[in-house]
Amino acid sequence: MDLQKLLTYVPALIDGCKITVMLTVISVSVGMILGLFLALGRISKNIFIDGLCKVYIFVFRGSPLMMQIFFIYYALPLIYPAMNISDKFTAACIALSLNSAAYLAEIIRAAIQSIDKGQFEAAKALGMNYSLTMRRVVIPQSYRRLIPPVGNEFIAVIKDTALVSAIGLTDLMRITNQIQVRNGDPWIYVPSLVIYLLLTTIFTFVFDKLEKKYSIYE
Amino acid sequence: MMIKMENVDKYFGSLQVLNKINLEVEQGEVVCIIGPSGSGKSTLLRCLNHLEHITNGKVFIEDKLLDERVHNKQLAKKTNKEIIQICISLGMVFQRFNLFPHMTALENIIEAPMSVKNVPKEEAIKIGEELLVKVGLSSKRDEYPSRLSGGQQQRVAIARALAMQPDIMLFDEPTSALDPELVGEVLEVMKRLATDGMTMIVVTHEMGFAREVGDRVIFMDNGEILEEGTPEEIFSNPKHDRTRAFLQKVL
Repeated sequence: MDLQKLLTYVPALIDGCKITVMLTVISVSVGMILGLFLALGRISKNIFIDGLCKVYIFVFRGSPLMMQIFFIYYALPLIYPAMNISDKFTAACIALSLNSAAYLAEIIRAAIQSIDKGQFEAAKALGMNYSLTMRRVVIPQSYRRLIPPVGNEFIAVIKDTALVSAIGLTDLMRITNQIQVRNGDPWIYVPSLVIYLLLTTIFTFVFDKLEKKYSIYE
Repeated sequence: MMIKMENVDKYFGSLQVLNKINLEVEQGEVVCIIGPSGSGKSTLLRCLNHLEHITNGKVFIEDKLLDERVHNKQLAKKTNKEIIQICISLGMVFQRFNLFPHMTALENIIEAPMSVKNVPKEEAIKIGEELLVKVGLSSKRDEYPSRLSGGQQQRVAIARALAMQPDIMLFDEPTSALDPELVGEVLEVMKRLATDGMTMIVVTHEMGFAREVGDRVIFMDNGEILEEGTPEEIFSNPKHDRTRAFLQKVL
């Protein structure tokens, strides 16, 4: 192992790392918003809305993420030319967001449904309608319960982003591979691995802090 | 008439929990409902503010029709908004307090006035602080419910209900979840409320309170109102065997 040589790869790896982090943050953020609506749909009394959300979750949770990425980037433009997403980063973001939304929807639904029924009754007895009850009483209480599983989801997505290298997006995984192929240096995986571990450590740390912050009232 | 129930039945599936209930409550009256567990006392209360839906009969709140059903079919179609409008004159206090754990005592109290009635924040805070004084908890203004004792939580819950300026207060076993030494402080607040002329319906196991504060006591068993009268009549001279048997067990 030539440490000197390995260090020269670091700037390129950092560039790839930026793509990985951006993909993760954007996808989980968009996925959270979409997931919240899916979760509200899943607990809705309207069986049509519930069914629609169920099908969405079924499809995106039940099929390979790589297939979803390929479908959005390669197949969709051929089926609907208007849906031509030429930018690889955008296509990857869309696929990862849609995918993580399915997982996050179930996380959010579980958090909302874990809120005591008495909270809904108290809100109703005070004259609050459904939307007020959700916005002011139920969803704020579910934040703390959401933090650990959402932290998990973040870590899962960091690793999932490696799949976007398959459509040629130069994330950390693809850059690592490129260097390996070009220079034939098997040790390149070590600094790359360290960066991935560093990323998960940072996200774990942030979510631990958040959890403590939101625990004040317990 | 503040509250009127006409021939109300309530079924949970095939289980009948209320049987031909007729009840009238006048302005300023304090009605205490007693009876064994599972006799339908809480369900009766919950049917009044639409937390449960009746199966048959009619419910009026302040002479306004809240619900009319035959075999669970709603005869008077009401929108959620109309129901909220009618039920807003009812305040409710729960056995398990049901305070919002992510809000401080004051925030719990001012939430509904602000979000439902659009009361400006400063005014809501002023009302909230007055109510905290009224229940003897001004020092706990900024505490979260988890830092309060059961009795303190229940007093905050009473203040929270009062903040909506209800005409009628419903109490669903307000002291049943409390340690014995904390019961007194909650009953004290309720007693003061009764003295101030609040119309109250209290489901309770506190016979002392029913006797002392109640204008009328109702004994329920198996979903029926078996007997009602002044506390004197019910406690000293119960007519029904089952009332007598119940009182013998609890007194």
